[in-house]
Amino acid sequence: MSTTATDRGTDSGTVVLELNDVHTYYGAIHALKGVTLDVRAGEIVTLIGANGAGKSTTLRSINGLNHARKGAIRFSGRDITGAAPHSIVKMGIAQSPEGRRLFPRMSVYENLEMGAFQRKDRSNFKGDLDRVFQLFPRLAERRQQKAGTLSGGEQQMCAIGRALMARPKLLLLDEPSMGLAPIFVEKIFEIIVEINQQGTPVLLVEQNALMALDVANRGYVLETGRIALQGEAKDLRQNERVRQTYLGET
Amino acid sequence: MLALWLLINLVKDPTEFFSVAVIGLTNGSVYALIALGYTLVYGILQLINFAHGDVFSLGGLLSATVILDAFDLTAASSAVAIVIGVAVSLLIAVAFSSALNTTVELVGYRRLRNAPRLAPLITAVGMSFILQNVGLYFWGPNYTSTDNLIPNSAAFSIGGVDFQWDNLVVILLTMPLLLALTWLVTSTRQGKAMRATSQDPEAAAMMGINVNRTISFTFALAGGLAGAAGLLYVLQFTTIRFDQGFQLGLIAFTAAVLGGIGNLAGAVLGAVIIGLIEAFNEGLEWHAAGSDWTRSIVFGLLIAILVFRPEGLLGERTPEGA
Repeated sequence: MSTTATDRGTDSGTVVLELNDVHTYYGAIHALKGVTLDVRAGEIVTLIGANGAGKSTTLRSINGLNHARKGAIRFSGRDITGAAPHSIVKMGIAQSPEGRRLFPRMSVYENLEMGAFQRKDRSNFKGDLDRVFQLFPRLAERRQQKAGTLSGGEQQMCAIGRALMARPKLLLLDEPSMGLAPIFVEKIFEIIVEINQQGTPVLLVEQNALMALDVANRGYVLETGRIALQGEAKDLRQNERVRQTYLGET
Repeated sequence: MLALWLLINLVKDPTEFFSVAVIGLTNGSVYALIALGYTLVYGILQLINFAHGDVFSLGGLLSATVILDAFDLTAASSAVAIVIGVAVSLLIAVAFSSALNTTVELVGYRRLRNAPRLAPLITAVGMSFILQNVGLYFWGPNYTSTDNLIPNSAAFSIGGVDFQWDNLVVILLTMPLLLALTWLVTSTRQGKAMRATSQDPEAAAMMGINVNRTISFTFALAGGLAGAAGLLYVLQFTTIRFDQGFQLGLIAFTAAVLGGIGNLAGAVLGAVIIGLIEAFNEGLEWHAAGSDWTRSIVFGLLIAILVFRPEGLLGERTPEGA
């Protein structure tokens, strides 16, 4: 299917997430060397780049696991640069991390429950659970199964479902297609679009640049800790450099 | 062979066999409460908290002091006074040990969370010495002894086997604590946060779990159980000293490893097994090795487990092989 949403106006949306000249380090290693990007309401924004370009580090700077040493990160107008991970989740940023990171010895149901951990409105829990099961009927069948025993595709569904249980105002997806069979990749991307159309802005980190640019409104290309290119997804799709380096076309 | 030996003893003198088993269960209960603390903390931080045994002895020393000085309890005190006094010292010991264990984590381990494994381990050994010396400073080098508050007369007998009050009280106080702990870990929000944090702390943080607070809570829980064990130990043996936690901590740690470290049911099982081994070895008449050999047998068992089943009796085989 891979419907693009590029025809929706992108400049009109209010800015949800804003990174301004963010520098992040791993010990002495300067991983992000001034990243500036934003995500606006209603958008899917993708961040593509080679291994080690800093894609996951960008997400870790946003979610508070690796605080930026310089620069500012603002979410819904609030500065979250130095905030603790759990309070950032509380503000409305949820994530499906790279490698899924499910709780392997907890059931699918318990994993989804953990996704809703910080929410106070327990009354809507059932409704959100139904929504996740509707998006991923497979999870409903396996709700009592230990997450560690799911297949790769099912684990990815569970990880995305778990993030949705937080009812996020912004969804971060880190390599949702990694290690999945092509048929699952198609499915996952369809669901990402569906989630977005239900109103959640998405920041999508992907190595599968082709698929990512297909579903995204805008994209950023990250190279060794810096934004090398940015623009409308459809323009990036046509860009000579992107086509050669990331799409494997000549 | 072991089973045969137990069976022959059982046949020769069933009354003695079961009386000894009750003593084993009682000791096992106290070991279980301490072993759970090792296993809870290991489960969440992969750290052997060597100071845990000393939290137990300080809890025990404090409850002995409360019994002696605040309530002035003796064997001659009325039953009501003893029940109230013991209940209050239990609360004090639990609260104190919780706070102490949480402080140990806050001061000693938190900053080393991302340091190489060896650093917090050495710190734990250091913390153990510090706590022992705190005990030595405040309570001195001698045993602090109370009267035998719970009579060791029989509460009831079944077929000649006496169930003594002191054993009974320890077992009856331990059971609800174990059930409450199981409920807490499996069914409450805080318990689920603990399990999530132990399985993947970063992912837990991404779910909005306050990882630091969850770890503090775990240390508080472990400390509380050690404090309860301290009071029960005083009730049963009536005497405790600043370095008691070293030996008991070692036994409880062995129990946790025997059952599978990180596994709550395993810690209890391991503790009961060790309690029974000790009691049988020291209490049975027919060809028991005797108390001189108890330690050798217990630690021999530990070595055998580490060689043949390193994940412990109930532990899960993990990719790291631990």
